[in-house]
Amino acid sequence: MAEVPSNLRAYLLRLGVLAAGLAGIAGTALLNRFAHLGLAPTLLLEYVAVTCVIWGLNGFLFRTLPLSGVMLLVFSAAAFGILFLIAYFVGGIVAPLLFDTAGRFIGFVRLADLLFYAFAVLTIAGAAGCAFSRNIIYSAWAMLFAFLGVAGLYVFLGADFPAVAQVMIYVGGILVLILFAIMLTKQIGEDPRLTNAHLGLPVGAALAAVTVGTLSYMAVMSPWKTVPVPSYEPVSAALGTAFLTDFLLPFEVASVVLLAALVGAVIIARKEIKEHSDTVLE
Amino acid sequence: MTSIGLPHFLIVGAALFALGMVTVVTRRNAVGILMGVELILNAANVNFIAFNHFVEGPGKITGQVFSIFVIVLAAAEAAIALAIVLAIYQTFRTIDVQETNLLRQ
Repeated sequence: MAEVPSNLRAYLLRLGVLAAGLAGIAGTALLNRFAHLGLAPTLLLEYVAVTCVIWGLNGFLFRTLPLSGVMLLVFSAAAFGILFLIAYFVGGIVAPLLFDTAGRFIGFVRLADLLFYAFAVLTIAGAAGCAFSRNIIYSAWAMLFAFLGVAGLYVFLGADFPAVAQVMIYVGGILVLILFAIMLTKQIGEDPRLTNAHLGLPVGAALAAVTVGTLSYMAVMSPWKTVPVPSYEPVSAALGTAFLTDFLLPFEVASVVLLAALVGAVIIARKEIKEHSDTVLE
Repeated sequence: MTSIGLPHFLIVGAALFALGMVTVVTRRNAVGILMGVELILNAANVNFIAFNHFVEGPGKITGQVFSIFVIVLAAAEAAIALAIVLAIYQTFRTIDVQETNLLRQ
């Protein structure tokens, strides 16, 4: 029965036996667990079910392997033995160890701390992808995760408005701009894997290690005057008040800067200026 | 094991800054260098808001105001810098910073 079944009926037969075998494996396990089926009947039923699965899979996967009669039984016995060993290993050794470790771990770490570490890993992994990827498109997408991770960190620090501004401006604005610039400056013929070449990467990595070490040492060893109980209150109203009272002049200057940047970007990137630039300059 | 405090956030900021600096120093693609600058600005923002939360105390938001200004300037910088990158590309047909060493055609 090794050759490909030529008609639909043989396929459906194999498929049905395969499904029956899978159901038999699960059902026997459940029977053993809840109906207190003996060990010998359980093993026998599991062996039959595995044989069914192997016969069903034979039509689809092992087409070069002629399995029939005794060969099928022997092959099924081998597969059954391997599955039994794996199941024993998982059920008897790994699962208790895993549950034990997890229980001890959760005793120490609160959920909020775990979330912080998740966001920190997301941020740093995204930044590392941006720094070390050789394809600039991948770098841009990695930076998306760095931005989202930083927004999560802002939420942890009780800064809801900066978190939303981070998502809207960085992810929705700057990242899209960067992707546009990448698409517009890509040359058709160049190798896409080498669009983001490095220059002296070992030196750069050493520089990063030294910087992280120094700054982390300073962050841990400095006696910061921290407040005892930081607050988690919404800050949007307070920010608006601050922008219109204490920081009114910087706020207006920032508006002018944004307007100037808008006009300047349009003028610099416009094509017509460049085409006439020779006559203008000379 | 202690709870999450100021040093945790400062270390994340330090890592972000270092990775951004590596990006700026080692990239040859001008857009890649810009991405490094954005990472560095994000690192500064994380530090601003962390200090605002843990040092400045409740009811004071100067650090968050600074972070908003940094975000505004980052947006302006990205728009201008990418316009310059496009202009360079139209002139030189490349944005490799090793090869674009003239101010005019």
